Amino acid sequence: MSNCRNGFKIFLLLIAFATILPFKAQAYNLSVTFDDLSDADIAARVEEGKKLFKANCAACHKVDGKLTGPAMADVWTHWDSQAKLIKWVQNSQELVKSGDPYAVKIFNEYNKQVMSAFTQLSDDQVISIIEYYVQAEQKGLGKAKEAVAAGGGAESSGPSSGPNKWILFTVIGALALIAISLFAITSKLDGLVHQGADGEPVKQESLFSKFQTKKLVSILIIVGVVFLGYNIVKGAIDLGRSQGYQPEQPIKFSHALHAGQNKIDCQYCHTGADKSRHSVIPSMAVCMNCHKYVQEGPKYGETEIAKIYEYSGWDPVSSSFKNAPKPIEWVKIHNLPDHVYFNHSQHVKVGGIECQTCHGNVQEMEVVQQFAPLSMGWCINCHRQTDVQFANNDYYSIFERYHDEIKKGERANVTVADIGGTECAKCHY
Amino acid sequence: MSNNKYWQSLEQRDETPEFKEQAAKEFQDEMPVFDYVDDTTKVESTGRRDFLKMMGFSISAAAIASSCKIPVKKAIPYVFNLDQSSRIPELVPGIADYFATSYAEGGDFSSILVKTRENRPIKIEGNTAAPFVKGGTTARAQASVLSLYDVARLTQPKKKGESITWEQADSEIAKKLTKISAEGGKIVIISNTNYSLATQKALATFKAKYPTTQVVTYDPVSLYAIRKANQITLGESIIPTYLFDKAKVIAGFNCDFLGGFVNATENAKRYSANRVPTKENPNMSRHYHFQSYVSITSASADYKHSIKPSQEKAVLMALYNKIAASTGASSLANVTISDLQESVNKLAAELLANRGESIVISGTNNVDIQLLTNAINAMLGNYGSTIDTAAALNLKQGNDEALKALSDDTSVKAVLLLNSNPVYDSVFADKIKNIITKAELSVSFADRLDESAELVQYITPDNHYLESWDVLEPKKGYISFVQPTINQLFDTRQAFVSLSEFAGATTTAYDLIKSAGEGFTTGFIASLGNTSWESALQTGFINNVSESASGSANLSATVSAINTKLPTSNGIEVIFYESVALADGKEANNPFLQEMPDPITRTSWDNFIALPYTFAINNGIKAMSQDSTVKTAKITLANKEVVLPVIISYGQAQDTVAIALGYGRSQGVGPAAFGSGQNVYPFLTYDNGTVSYSAGSAAYETLKGTHKMGMSQRYHTLQEDNNLYNRPRRFRNNIVKEANLEQFRKDDTAGNEDRAKIKDHLTTLYKGYDSPGHHWSMAVDLNSCIGCAACVISCNIENNVPVIGREEMSNTRSMHWLRIDRYYSGDPDNPDVAFQPLMCQHCDNAPCENVCPVNATNHSSEGLNQMAYNRCIGTKYCANNCPFKVRKFNWYDYQGNDSFGGWNDPTDASYMYDNLTRMVLNPDVTVRSRGVIEKCSFCVQRIQASKLTAKTEGRPLKDGDVKTACQTACPTNSISFGDRNDKNSEIHRIFFDNGRNYHLYEEQHFMTNVGYQVKIRNTDEEPEFTFVGAKEDKA
Repeated sequence: MSNCRNGFKIFLLLIAFATILPFKAQAYNLSVTFDDLSDADIAARVEEGKKLFKANCAACHKVDGKLTGPAMADVWTHWDSQAKLIKWVQNSQELVKSGDPYAVKIFNEYNKQVMSAFTQLSDDQVISIIEYYVQAEQKGLGKAKEAVAAGGGAESSGPSSGPNKWILFTVIGALALIAISLFAITSKLDGLVHQGADGEPVKQESLFSKFQTKKLVSILIIVGVVFLGYNIVKGAIDLGRSQGYQPEQPIKFSHALHAGQNKIDCQYCHTGADKSRHSVIPSMAVCMNCHKYVQEGPKYGETEIAKIYEYSGWDPVSSSFKNAPKPIEWVKIHNLPDHVYFNHSQHVKVGGIECQTCHGNVQEMEVVQQFAPLSMGWCINCHRQTDVQFANNDYYSIFERYHDEIKKGERANVTVADIGGTECAKCHY
Repeated sequence: MSNNKYWQSLEQRDETPEFKEQAAKEFQDEMPVFDYVDDTTKVESTGRRDFLKMMGFSISAAAIASSCKIPVKKAIPYVFNLDQSSRIPELVPGIADYFATSYAEGGDFSSILVKTRENRPIKIEGNTAAPFVKGGTTARAQASVLSLYDVARLTQPKKKGESITWEQADSEIAKKLTKISAEGGKIVIISNTNYSLATQKALATFKAKYPTTQVVTYDPVSLYAIRKANQITLGESIIPTYLFDKAKVIAGFNCDFLGGFVNATENAKRYSANRVPTKENPNMSRHYHFQSYVSITSASADYKHSIKPSQEKAVLMALYNKIAASTGASSLANVTISDLQESVNKLAAELLANRGESIVISGTNNVDIQLLTNAINAMLGNYGSTIDTAAALNLKQGNDEALKALSDDTSVKAVLLLNSNPVYDSVFADKIKNIITKAELSVSFADRLDESAELVQYITPDNHYLESWDVLEPKKGYISFVQPTINQLFDTRQAFVSLSEFAGATTTAYDLIKSAGEGFTTGFIASLGNTSWESALQTGFINNVSESASGSANLSATVSAINTKLPTSNGIEVIFYESVALADGKEANNPFLQEMPDPITRTSWDNFIALPYTFAINNGIKAMSQDSTVKTAKITLANKEVVLPVIISYGQAQDTVAIALGYGRSQGVGPAAFGSGQNVYPFLTYDNGTVSYSAGSAAYETLKGTHKMGMSQRYHTLQEDNNLYNRPRRFRNNIVKEANLEQFRKDDTAGNEDRAKIKDHLTTLYKGYDSPGHHWSMAVDLNSCIGCAACVISCNIENNVPVIGREEMSNTRSMHWLRIDRYYSGDPDNPDVAFQPLMCQHCDNAPCENVCPVNATNHSSEGLNQMAYNRCIGTKYCANNCPFKVRKFNWYDYQGNDSFGGWNDPTDASYMYDNLTRMVLNPDVTVRSRGVIEKCSFCVQRIQASKLTAKTEGRPLKDGDVKTACQTACPTNSISFGDRNDKNSEIHRIFFDNGRNYHLYEEQHFMTNVGYQVKIRNTDEEPEFTFVGAKEDKA
């Protein structure tokens, strides 16, 4: 029996070997390995390759997996010489015309889509891309490095919120109360124990009774009332506010990556901010502008991007919208009460306020949270302190008196409050 | 004896002690607390334990409510079709889109713009680019956006009450039609007037397929007599365009051309164009009106005379004879009209003095009367100058004779009801009901289960017009488009598409209207390329109407056709009329229209018997009820009777009563229509080729019963206090001021003489408000206001003003931010009428602001009296202290918007209560909840939006950039709004350079930001009560 099985295994191996053999024969050997160079040299060449890859190749190629073009990992195994591969990169059509069988095959396989010619890349640069960066990526060297670099910021946690503190104080307060009452009970019992034969308690000075003066008790009561009152009022004011609110979203979209690392402008996606009341949550059409091509992210790989495909009905294999799109139910973070009218364009376009003033450094947030308290006091304060773009906007020319005062030097600036920005009907109607 | 010049009721005129007490009260009725508390819970039985129980409950309820988690809100972006090839332009949430389309209902037509937000239509505006009207609509057009979100609409085709699919309906109906047609059976399509070119094309297709088809057109309120008379006079069966702007003398005979009749919006625009005298051009037209009931048109007239319907012909004949005597035309038989002869002589003299610049018009559906007006107009040479027959109207094409013939036809095998409800609103309702029930096939295209649709086999519901495509030709040479502003809400289909489908022609609405262009009379679509077609659609209309009027009349044929036999008059005569709010009743289920106070009687939610003053007093009707309970009466006419509440209408002709049509609907029409008033269509009679809207020999009987009526003029009374303690009499201000044209010509401050003196004596301890930027102000011209209430409905829709229902209206709790007060002066049997739109006056010295304990209402640097709803705690001190009574308190959660909504709302206040209806709400305006005061904000959301546009464009705000909702709706431009600090603005000119401008209670130094312009009447007599103070001063 066992012999028979071993024989079968050997047979399979032989078949496998036979299958690989022709390709193996075609493949060229990498001219570089990571062993025969110094670490610094390797790092430099990997870095150069990465830059070149991002600039020239990434729109159509991934290291692993198909995009517009084939996967880059192990490309060398398909070519019979390094020179041919370099030539393919520099001008693929020449190679196709020359009738190279593999070049023709790959050209036909990808619907005769012509790969752009990269004549500007030197042979050495192509080697940097293919033999250093791609190899490094494939071996996981690059990813490990990036993970180390990104690791620090990933573990962001929500800020300690008011209610948590409040619970802590309550527990401490309750414990203190229990301690005091226990102390009172024990001292009472103690007093009973030390009763004299005639029923008169034996005068005994305890530590507790020393402190048990009227003055001290009333001070304690006052402190307690002030402490509790302060917390109740503070809690009541905070009712309905949710600074630091950081809900989980249906897709783990990272502003840190998009706005921070990739430096995509806020208004590329939030298109309404300069023209509408709403900044607008982008529709999937905006996501798909890039994510038709970018199919993998640095942190979650393909899993999160696959969710966009699921929602939008995009089929990455056939590169088309196959299914009906479904809405993404994002959780709204910045909520104003219904009786408040806020207009983004007034602040962004007219006021020239940075998004970060109210939303915080979103470009550093892996998961977005509510930065500002969004309370009326916070709004009003800003309106009192912020200057209006008075000089450059003709609309404000009607405020002749202010212009005169500025000319005469009687007035340095005009704040939002000066032109009525703290009046009720500016936001409540 | 009172010095009150103007009164809203006789009690106010006579200043009875009851009235004074009533008017001084903030709320008219005692709080009905004990209605809600039964014996067991009355105060005396509430012990300590009950108190603790309630307290405990309230505290725990509050604790639970406040400890709830903040709800998680979602932000869901739009799902667009991601396929690049069919990508629609992306809509930006928060930015409104406007679509040009058309409103057409009954005799009312407007080219309109529809404001959509996030793809929902939320507001109608007049299309300012459209010719003739240039903005402005009727109240009905304004309210029609709410009808889109009507819960009573049918959601899919029905067969005998069961829901079916369109395929099933199409195949079954087509099969039956084919069978009937093959057998030679008669197919009848009963339609109200339609001037849709697409429908006409579909009807042609239908007729080609089923040649036994006959189309019968009728109108609930018919003007067939005009077309019939014009067939004789003009040789064409048309209704001409009346150019009121070119007329110096207008003589109306029972014709409500500003509120009903036909083409009211354009009439109002043209009429008002020549009714506002200025310093530079101190001229205006003179308007005579002979009326049986008081309409807004007769209320606007300079000279009005009460006539019975049976007298109209005699008066017109007398007028004819008088004019014929001067023009040399043959005269008619002599008539005696006793006391009216003098007025007719005066009118005749003025008409003769203004030949070619006058209009004589009657709305009575009687051929002889129409021939008489035609003859008079022809003698005066008005055809081709003030009456444009080339611009013939296609509205009101109903043929009364055809309907009569149909009703007697027993061979009808199939009936299709196209945009019509003959079982409710036709004169032959019973006979047509018979035809429908006996027919082999009956189909209705009704959008709801109306009185006729209840009886038919199939209902194939039509779209709402805001979901539809269409091409209309309301006037010869004027094409107006209808385009959808929202995707279809329900599984409905446009009637003309259904008609084509029944005829086996599969098509879409869009294709049909494009191809309908081939049939356009002016043939322009063929010459338009695709882009032109689209730009025409974007503009909303194509106008080929000639600027100059044309037309000529055949006088002799007209005169010889007149039957001079006079009708006999006996007993009480009843007039059936279209109310301004509901018209023929098509939109009876629109709660905004039901709640809109009638401009004259100020009642809502019911029709009523309008009684003349003396007649009412003689029949024991108190002049005005102290609460909303009014007596009911019974009218018996030709063995039919109707019981309705009675309301005195000052100016109603003696021995006549008037009742509005359009009420008394069945349950299927919807919750607002059902139970409101009584249907009086059954009283209409067919008389000698036309439908008659009046009848004699009626019996009247006051009943013991009473009815609780929504009456909005018995509260919110502004008082002219003649006995202000420490003020000299010369400072007595008037609320309504008026003068006649002669006085105005001499002095442009006529009627307003006191103002200069008041201003001289005004001093104040207050510092006043600083307005470094804008100072918003409004001016209302009492001269051009016709009381049509379009502004009221426009305000309601723009500002999310709730509908409160009959019960709450009768509880004096009207929520309208803008109301139109109606004032009478003079003889109660035929008084002069003045309308005064009253909204928050935005006083710079506001009495409401000082008394608010929480500073919820305060003043802005732009002159606005602001109202912060969320700061309001509902003390109502401000409402009590407001001299104009314009602050409204939310007694209930009328919109059902807060989390405890629906707790104790009165059942009939819930018209706006479901999610579908709430789609009409304006997202830029807070929906108020229970327990807060609200009031006019000067449309601050529009001010802010226009300012923002100017800021983003980096330019100063121009005059006219900000238009309030009431202003845009007004068909007569009587409301102006703007920045008083802008020296080039219209409002600045009115406030500082118009002698007619005055402010209410100016002597009290409220410094209101709303100005009114003195009403000028074009009468020879000076107003009956002249200004007392001025005379004293002169003395």
